[in-house]
Formats: sequence, C-alpha cells, structure tokens
Amino acid sequence: MSTLAHALPTPRLVSADILKLGKRRGLAAVVALMTVGTVVIANTVIELMHLSDSVKHGPAGGVTMLGHFAWTISALGAAAAAIVAATAGSGDLDSGVYRDLAVTGRSRLAIFASRIPAGLMYLLPFVAGAYAIEAVSSVVFTGSHPAPSSYLLVVTGLWTLLSVTFYYLLALGISCVVGSRSYTIGIVLAWRLALTPLLASIAALGVVRELVPGVALDGLLPAALHDAARQGPRVGMSLAAIAFVLVVWTAAALVAGAVRDTTRDA
Amino acid sequence: MTTSRATTQELVVETAGLSKRFGDRTVVRKVDLEVPRGVAFGYLGPNGAGKTTLIRMLLGLTQANEGSMNLLGLPVPARRAEALARVGAIVEEPSFHGHLTGRENLKIVAAVRERAAFDRIDGVLERLGLATRADDRVKTYSLGMRQRLGIARCLLADPELLILDEPMNGLDPAGIQDFRAFVREFVAEGRTIVLSSHLLDEVEKTCSHVAIVDRGRIVVQGAIEKLRDGGRPTLLIQVDDSARARALLSAHAAVDRVVDDGEALRVVLADSAAVGDLNRRLVEAHLNVTRLEPAQASLEQRFLEVTTRLENAA
Repeated sequence: MSTLAHALPTPRLVSADILKLGKRRGLAAVVALMTVGTVVIANTVIELMHLSDSVKHGPAGGVTMLGHFAWTISALGAAAAAIVAATAGSGDLDSGVYRDLAVTGRSRLAIFASRIPAGLMYLLPFVAGAYAIEAVSSVVFTGSHPAPSSYLLVVTGLWTLLSVTFYYLLALGISCVVGSRSYTIGIVLAWRLALTPLLASIAALGVVRELVPGVALDGLLPAALHDAARQGPRVGMSLAAIAFVLVVWTAAALVAGAVRDTTRDA
Repeated sequence: MTTSRATTQELVVETAGLSKRFGDRTVVRKVDLEVPRGVAFGYLGPNGAGKTTLIRMLLGLTQANEGSMNLLGLPVPARRAEALARVGAIVEEPSFHGHLTGRENLKIVAAVRERAAFDRIDGVLERLGLATRADDRVKTYSLGMRQRLGIARCLLADPELLILDEPMNGLDPAGIQDFRAFVREFVAEGRTIVLSSHLLDEVEKTCSHVAIVDRGRIVVQGAIEKLRDGGRPTLLIQVDDSARARALLSAHAAVDRVVDDGEALRVVLADSAAVGDLNRRLVEAHLNVTRLEPAQASLEQRFLEVTTRLENAA
C-alpha cells in the first residue's frame, strides 16, 4: 500500500466514525433541536401569531422570512457543527480510545481525515432537513408576501449548507488542536456569534474585514435576501477573494488539526 | 547488567541502548531488551521504573531519545505500520467508548485494521466469553469484562505479539486465573506475550521469561528457570535460639548475609561448600538445629538480590 493510500480514509473508517457519532442519543437530540426543531417551532409560532392577528404579525413564509431563517439555520447550524466537530475530533481522546487506534499502526492522518466526511454525513442531513422545512414553509405560508423563486430557494439552501460545512471544518481543526470538547464549542460559538458580527460592523477596519470568514460567507448570500440573512453591514468582495478567504481558513484549521493529531503523544 | 542472551532464538522484540528522557529526568536508560518468539515474557519492576514508557516507545506512542528498536524483525519507527499490523496491545488500561456496545467497540478497531479483522469479531467475543454481553453497552461492563474485551480487541489483528501493560491490575482472583489461562493458550498457539507488571508473584506464575527493571534500567533478563539457578544458594535454618545463631552465622566467612523471616533464618551463602561446616559450628555452640535445608529459589529472591546489589552499588 502506498504512503498516500495508507493516509486516506477508507469507507470502513468513515463508517466507524459515523457509528461513534450516531450512537450518541444526546448529541442527536441536541443537533435535531438546534436545526429541525428550531425551524419547526419558530415557523409554527410565527404562523399561529399571524393567524391570530394578521395585521400585527406577518406570515411565516415569503422572501424576507426565508432570509431570517437562513441566518437562523446557519447560526444554529454553526453551533451544532461545533458540537459535532468537537465530539468527532476529541471523542477518541476523551475516551482514551485514540491510543488504541494509534497502536494499530494505521496512519494517524487517515484516522484524522475520516472525521471530515463522517461528521458532514452526520450533520448535513439535519441542516438540509431544517432548510427543506423552511423552504416549504416560505412558499406555503406567504400570505400577501411574494414567494421565493425556485432559484432563490436552491441558492439559499446551498449557502446554508456551505456555511455549516465551513464551521464544521473549522471546529474540527480546532478540536484536534485543543483536544477538548468544551473549549472547541466555546471558541467557535464566540467567534461565530459574537466576534464575527462585531468585526464586520467596525468600518474602520476597512478591507481587513474581508479576512473574516463570516463576512466572506455573507458575500455569497443571494442579493434577493437583502439584509435579512446578513450578520453585519455588507462588505463588497469578489468571488475570488471570498473563495480565497474560506479556503485559507479551512486549510489552516485542518492542517493544524492534522499536524497536532499525528504528532501528539497518544 | 546480568543478561542471559537469547542468541539462538528469533527475537520478536529487540532494543539496543533505548533511552527516554522527560526534561532532566531519564525514565528509560540504555535498555537492551531481547524477547524471544513464542514465550510469555514479564517486564517486571516497581511502579515508576519506566515500564509503561518503554512499551509506549515500542508502540510508537512516544519517541525515544536514543537507541534503536525492532518489532517482529522490523525496525521501528521506520516500518512501524507494518510491524504493528501484527501486534495487539493494551497500554495502561483498556479504554472504550462507553456509549457503544462491546461488539461496536470491536468494529471501531476492526475498521482501522485489515478487512479480515471484521470476520474475527464474533470469534474473539466467543473465545473471551463475551458473546452473551456483546450487545450491551460497555459502560455496564465490569473491570474484568473490560480487560477481556481489551484482549479481544488485540486478537482482531491475529497478532504474533501481544503487549499488555499491567494487565492484572484490579482483577479479582477468578479474573487473574482466567487471564493466566488465556496467556497459556496464546503461547501454545505460537504467539509471544510481553506483559509488564509490578507483581512479582504474578510474573513468576504467568511467564517463562523475565526482564527485571529498576529505575529505568534492565538489571537482569532471561528465562526465569535460569535466573533462579543464577541466584546464590540459600539455606533455611531453624534453631532454638535464633539471635545467637544469627550472630554466629553472620561471622562466618562463607555467609553473605542472614535474614530472620520470623519462621526461620534465611542464610545466603557466598560459598555453598560451607553447609557442613555451618551445621557443625551450630551444634558445637550447643544450639538445637531442628531444620536445615536449601531454600527453594524464587524469582522474588533473585529480584531482591539484584535490586539490593544495585542499592549497595549506588
């Protein structure tokens, strides 16, 4: 087996990581609540309020509500991504099993890399499910508001998945570096929910704000959603600049995580 | 260092000048370890002697500062992956994902091993007596069951070499007996077992070969049988006045030392030819000798002898 092949995650490794995640009932409950549960509850409440007083409360559907929910899913999806990534990245270490995996002689890089597809295969169905419910809701409960086009629904859905995927990869790298679930979740949540909007709103930072991945992600939002899904003022960025920022952040996090995972005293 | 070299047998573990330092503290000192194939080998020493650190170096969990190692004839770390594919190991204590069942935990490790490891899962669960609890969560397992599951996990690799770090820690007498039986079975199958322990008695009962380690250094290694023979001759003597006999014997040139163990005087001889003369002197001193026999050599004696010698030399 070549060195490269030895370092690649096999389907069996990925399945094993999915098994570790999938058998955690608490994790499944939390992730489901943060994604599907939130969308269902929020849509239900908003629509009931609209039905009870349509003058005072708008409907749960329409383009603007799609934007609001896209932000909600991406924000809570990032939190869920942090929890899943922290569990995937440090679960073997926390339980002491990492040492038992390392003594098999299997490439530690392969063990690390298998968590990337495994975590995404676990997480993204929840996020996609939440968005699918929201997409239907935004079309069905429009009231007098315009319904989003199919194109807008697809692009917004892809943006939501991209946003959550980015935060999963970032959190996975951090998790492997710090080796602690709680620290990883804290760091990612603070970055996503507090620091990103703060940095994006400081106009004096000028072009430096483009280096913030949340700002770059906002740059990919469909224009039709206007400000409904953005977390700060719009910072104009080219597509190449956006791709560069996201790729560099992702690569930096994953490389740091891989280096730490493959060199640590197990 | 006293070494009974295994020159004719194939070695499955071989280290040369292996050292490990943590800051200024050297925990493994120039270790030359030789483990022959197909034996149960005890790596024996007190807590803090560097046993686990040596095992961690062999398994590539931490790097050595000096020296070289071969596992199953392959240089480590250069061909670590190849070597470890045929090694099963438990380091410190067997760890598992408590939220998964025993079978699922084995699947996790089988996924990291070769494809054939999956096919061995049912067999090893049956063999280790875990088949009926295989689908229960590991967090409900007793320590003994976890130890057996740890061994089952090692067997997934169909290993030529099993490295077990303090495997009998926390086991009840029945668990220890089961463990000894497993070791005998594995050796009969041609596997080599290296187990570290601070329990002298357990190593003596379980292993055919031993390395005694003290403060990071191997002080003696080889077949236990030969090491026992290599010890100094010792007499057990019972008399009616132990104190007077002890003083008399201690003054004899052929006596290395005399220890009163409460039941008899344990007399370590520098010259075994002096037994008759010692008996005569005791009788001439009007001491009533009720017992005089050679003490059955034990690993414990040898262990105390070599470690005492070290302390005296220090």
